[in-house]
Amino acid sequence: MPELGPPPKSQSQSAPAPGNPARAAGPGAAARRPKIVGFLCDWAVSAEGIVREDGTMRDLPNVTLIKVPCSGFIRPSWLEFALKNGADGTFVCGCPLGDCFNRLGNNLIQDRVAQMRRRLERQKIQPDRVGTIYYGLREQEQFVAAVREFSDRVAQLPAPPPPPPARRPAGVSPATPADGSPSGPTPAPEEP
Amino acid sequence: MYRRLLASLLRWTLRLDVGINRVYPADFNPLYYTGGLSNLFLTILILSGLFLFFYYVPSYNEAYTTVQYISERVPYGQIIRGIHRYSADGFMIVILLHFFRNWFTERFRFSRDEPWISGMMLLVFAGFIGVTGYVLVWDQRAELLVVMTGNALAAIPAVGGWLRNLLFGGPGLTNLLLPRMLFLHVGPAVLLYVLLWWHYVRLRHPKVWPPAVWTLFSLGVVLLLSGLIPAASQPQASPTTPPRQLAVDWLFLLPYVSLKYLTPLWLIVLATVIIVYGLYIPYQLPETRAEMGLRESGIAQVIDANCTGCELSYYDCPYNAIVMAPSPHPGVTKAAQARKLLAIVLESRCVECGICIGACPFEALELPHFLEQDVQAKVLTACRS
Repeated sequence: MPELGPPPKSQSQSAPAPGNPARAAGPGAAARRPKIVGFLCDWAVSAEGIVREDGTMRDLPNVTLIKVPCSGFIRPSWLEFALKNGADGTFVCGCPLGDCFNRLGNNLIQDRVAQMRRRLERQKIQPDRVGTIYYGLREQEQFVAAVREFSDRVAQLPAPPPPPPARRPAGVSPATPADGSPSGPTPAPEEP
Repeated sequence: MYRRLLASLLRWTLRLDVGINRVYPADFNPLYYTGGLSNLFLTILILSGLFLFFYYVPSYNEAYTTVQYISERVPYGQIIRGIHRYSADGFMIVILLHFFRNWFTERFRFSRDEPWISGMMLLVFAGFIGVTGYVLVWDQRAELLVVMTGNALAAIPAVGGWLRNLLFGGPGLTNLLLPRMLFLHVGPAVLLYVLLWWHYVRLRHPKVWPPAVWTLFSLGVVLLLSGLIPAASQPQASPTTPPRQLAVDWLFLLPYVSLKYLTPLWLIVLATVIIVYGLYIPYQLPETRAEMGLRESGIAQVIDANCTGCELSYYDCPYNAIVMAPSPHPGVTKAAQARKLLAIVLESRCVECGICIGACPFEALELPHFLEQDVQAKVLTACRS
């Protein structure tokens, strides 16, 4: 992916300058595609045919999907971790609400993400950078459309103030930030 | 072959869901609440049944007249009888929907065989209660049902006649018949609640009630039906004019219709095969995750040092696989020092879904083959690329 190398770095700086007109222009938009990390439940939308070998989506190379056993498995701190390590947006995809294979996983993650958005607001990060999407096994087209819409919405957001420490863990080995960095999972007790 | 059939049935089920979700918000999709709806109908049945029980006399001569008395003389008796009648049909429809839906979406996997098996028993008993209910009315259809059941049971070699006498209190139509039927109508209805306990015992926060919209809708439909099409009996049963025609109720009396084409013994063999197969469904497909093409995350592990005994994972685990035990020793981290309880994962119930990991704010749980570090490493590579 030659075009994927530079964008994550340049986009956050270049985003405020061209602003929305560049986005509306269409073809120029590829230069500032937001980096998006998505968590995808094993039982929700089938990843067959929409994901490349390295986990990026075929239609949206700026979106990387990470498969998890259930949407309820995700700790909100991982979404925060992604945001602090250079992702412009993260989302969780689960089964349709009320139809979770593991019964209530998607309702749980919905509540947790709702709480997390309030937390992000206090940290001056736009809560719209975090999203939840719910689609069933065969609804791949709708899922791709929803991800595209989410990606477009994230692209419209003004860039966050670049925090210097947030760049640091990206250079360190993956194991270290889990223990040492302040950007790692913050134990924030949640209501049951 | 079976696998391909199941896959196409799953596709149709999901297509139906998508269609309904287009009309309603997903939270109100009635197909997501078939279990709650059957509980609703069961409650209606119990309440209306209690009302009917006050008036019903289970004797050979009086049963029919008391049912007529309920219909014609008791205030709102006809309506209550209709409610009992039509909510029984509704009950059967929604539990069949529940059965097929959970079959096609494979919700019998892993540790969910107990809800499945108790559900099969609930289904069988619900059908049985429906048939005894038809006998209690003691019209010509009831008499025909008793005769047909007696013949079918008598066709079982060796124990058949004995079974028939056990069920009906003797050969032919005796005065013991209706008291027995009344007990076999009410007794198994109580048993349904015992089985429901078994049905729910491994589930945390089972959806036992549909949304208010669907509660009101079902009540409305049942009321409307009982007003528009009053539930009526057939002519009174009398030994002198034995009935020839069976007035069919397709939901409960299907086995009796099939007696037209099958000999009684074949019917009993077929019914046994169907029930046994139903109980076998959860064990039919390969159970291991590798054969299903699923990841092996491993059974969730509690990290003793971090657990604070806060019970959050205990509340969120969908299959009650986490229990809280008195803590034998304090934990290591500051938050875990003063703990009174310790979470314990029951391996046989864990389905490796990882919901407890998302629930735990103290990093005291992990899936051994899919650790937090693994997820963070994936996130980092995704962010760097």
